[in-house]
Amino acid sequence: MASQASETTPLELVIFHDDSRFAHDTIHLLSGFPFLIIKESLGLPATIAATKKKLKERWPTVIIGREAPSLMKELATSSHLLLITATELSEQMLNAWQGDVLMGDCSPAMVRKRLSLWCASHRVENQLASFEESLSWYMQRIEREHELIEHIFRNAMSRNYLDYPHIRTLLAPAEKFNGDLCLVAPSPTGSLYVMMADFTGHGLAPATGALPVSQAFFAMSERNVSIAEMVTEFNFRLSRLLPDNMFCACFLMELSANGERITYWNGGMPPALVFGSDGEIKHRLTAEHMALGIVPTADFESDVTTLKVGSGDSIALYTDGVIELLSQQREFLGLDALEDLLRRYPERERFTDLLSELEHFRGEEPLRDDLSLAILECRETGLEPRREESNRDIFPFHFSTTLSRRELQQTDVVSTLVSALGRLPPLTAHRTTIYLLLAEVFNNALEHGLLGLESEIKAQDQGFETYYELRQEKLSQLEDGQITIQLTYFSEANQLQFEVENNGAAWRFSSAALDAEATDDEQAYGRGLALLMQLADGLEWSSDGRKVSFRYDLSRLG
Amino acid sequence: MSVTRHLSSDGKELTISIHGKFDFGVVHEFRRAYSSLGDEKPVVYIDLRNTEYLDSSALGMLLNMRKAIINQVESVAIINTNPQVKSILEISRFDKLFKIE
Repeated sequence: MASQASETTPLELVIFHDDSRFAHDTIHLLSGFPFLIIKESLGLPATIAATKKKLKERWPTVIIGREAPSLMKELATSSHLLLITATELSEQMLNAWQGDVLMGDCSPAMVRKRLSLWCASHRVENQLASFEESLSWYMQRIEREHELIEHIFRNAMSRNYLDYPHIRTLLAPAEKFNGDLCLVAPSPTGSLYVMMADFTGHGLAPATGALPVSQAFFAMSERNVSIAEMVTEFNFRLSRLLPDNMFCACFLMELSANGERITYWNGGMPPALVFGSDGEIKHRLTAEHMALGIVPTADFESDVTTLKVGSGDSIALYTDGVIELLSQQREFLGLDALEDLLRRYPERERFTDLLSELEHFRGEEPLRDDLSLAILECRETGLEPRREESNRDIFPFHFSTTLSRRELQQTDVVSTLVSALGRLPPLTAHRTTIYLLLAEVFNNALEHGLLGLESEIKAQDQGFETYYELRQEKLSQLEDGQITIQLTYFSEANQLQFEVENNGAAWRFSSAALDAEATDDEQAYGRGLALLMQLADGLEWSSDGRKVSFRYDLSRLG
Repeated sequence: MSVTRHLSSDGKELTISIHGKFDFGVVHEFRRAYSSLGDEKPVVYIDLRNTEYLDSSALGMLLNMRKAIINQVESVAIINTNPQVKSILEISRFDKLFKIE
């Protein structure tokens, strides 16, 4: 950056002269002026090249000669020059000379006056040049930073599923960066999350708030987090991040995989509109909560509303930029007009007509606020439930444990085991089923083998509670008994072998009993065995029913 | 709280969510969650979004619940089931008794 000469700093200049008496007198005069410093004084014959070099470096240069020097022709192109000469110059010479001239017989006062003006003008010129330089430096810097921020936003939004086939969007920021946020993400169970949010103001500052919210949104979508938990988390983050005068209005919803149910939370957004295929407005989902980022977690209301929607219904989400759209006549569009547009263009194919109407309404009027509109069709999402990938880092293993009275009484055996083993890659995607299978055989071993409980108790009124109270009681009184669990994973066959053995009472498997149980769909117990038969292969009892073994095929889906 | 309930302000939807493990350990909590239904004949949603594990006692509890409330509610749906839970419910033929999503 160029240094800025202040008013009081003397101007440094270079002098070329012809060694005449006139020149030396003038130099002597100049050296007494407080507003300039003679940095260099070169007598002729200084080469033209040296002069040009100095000119290139933009040194203020004074040329002093008795006669109009021959240099004049050579240097005529520069305007940074001051020529001081004793002779009068012809009009032609004056016209050809682009710099300043002080000629003839001037009084010292006149020379001082002209030199002081010449120096001042140089100073201003220098200042301008340095302002220009720093302005262009700042502009470049801002451009670079904007590029960087755009890059970050692009990456942050790379997971945004705006290409979802059943959503149409209009996202129009008033400036380069959008303070509105329209996010779409699938859930692992095939439902769809959609968020429409509007930060206070527009431009870069509000857009910055979009970063933490969008990142949390995508991460939580992947974990299938509920709407209530999501908004609680957003509010937690934003209430700590945003300054007091900034907040974020937000409409967050989840459309169920079958497209029949909407769960939503509306904090400070204009009402989302549910409309039928004929354009009839069926529901206005008005805000029941305050915007995000205002109240602390303890006072935050995360209550959501669930709504049944019919096939052919759509839902329009939008920011206030839409209904506050200004026409050239300086009128707001308004909610009624938006509803009217939806009534007229409810079909998917007419979305572009709706947009043209909005454009037409606005005319040449510039956008005052970010404007976002999304119309989602309420239909089966067609999103495949995600299957967890688990085909890496696979190796065979064997796990065995024998639990006696104390562990059986004090440990939640099945949860502990499945939580630990469920981290092994081949089992991760199956841990819910593995839990179920192990829980069935372990509970059988404990409840029937060691505790001698009868399942029939469950059939009585409040039988479940009675059964499990009895289980607790008998377990705490258990004096002796052990259960051995062995799990073996065969990586080639991709099967998990279960073996569970107890040293309690004998137990006889009766297929007749199973048939009887399984045919009654509404009987509340005895389903464990049926599930085991369906999910496992090679189910076998030995040691008088004390030992059970079976295999579970991990290649089966989900 | 591993069982939470939320009755909508208009009393028309009751959502019961089970977090973590759904088994006999929550038998009382679960029964309490559907003990008061209001007068609006709500739709009952059993939200299994956060249910990581369940066993056959959970299935029994769901059936007991259905028996107890079916005449006082609009319908009962089991929602947000992950693929494994869904497959377990289907093997148990729960799809005949509940709407499963």
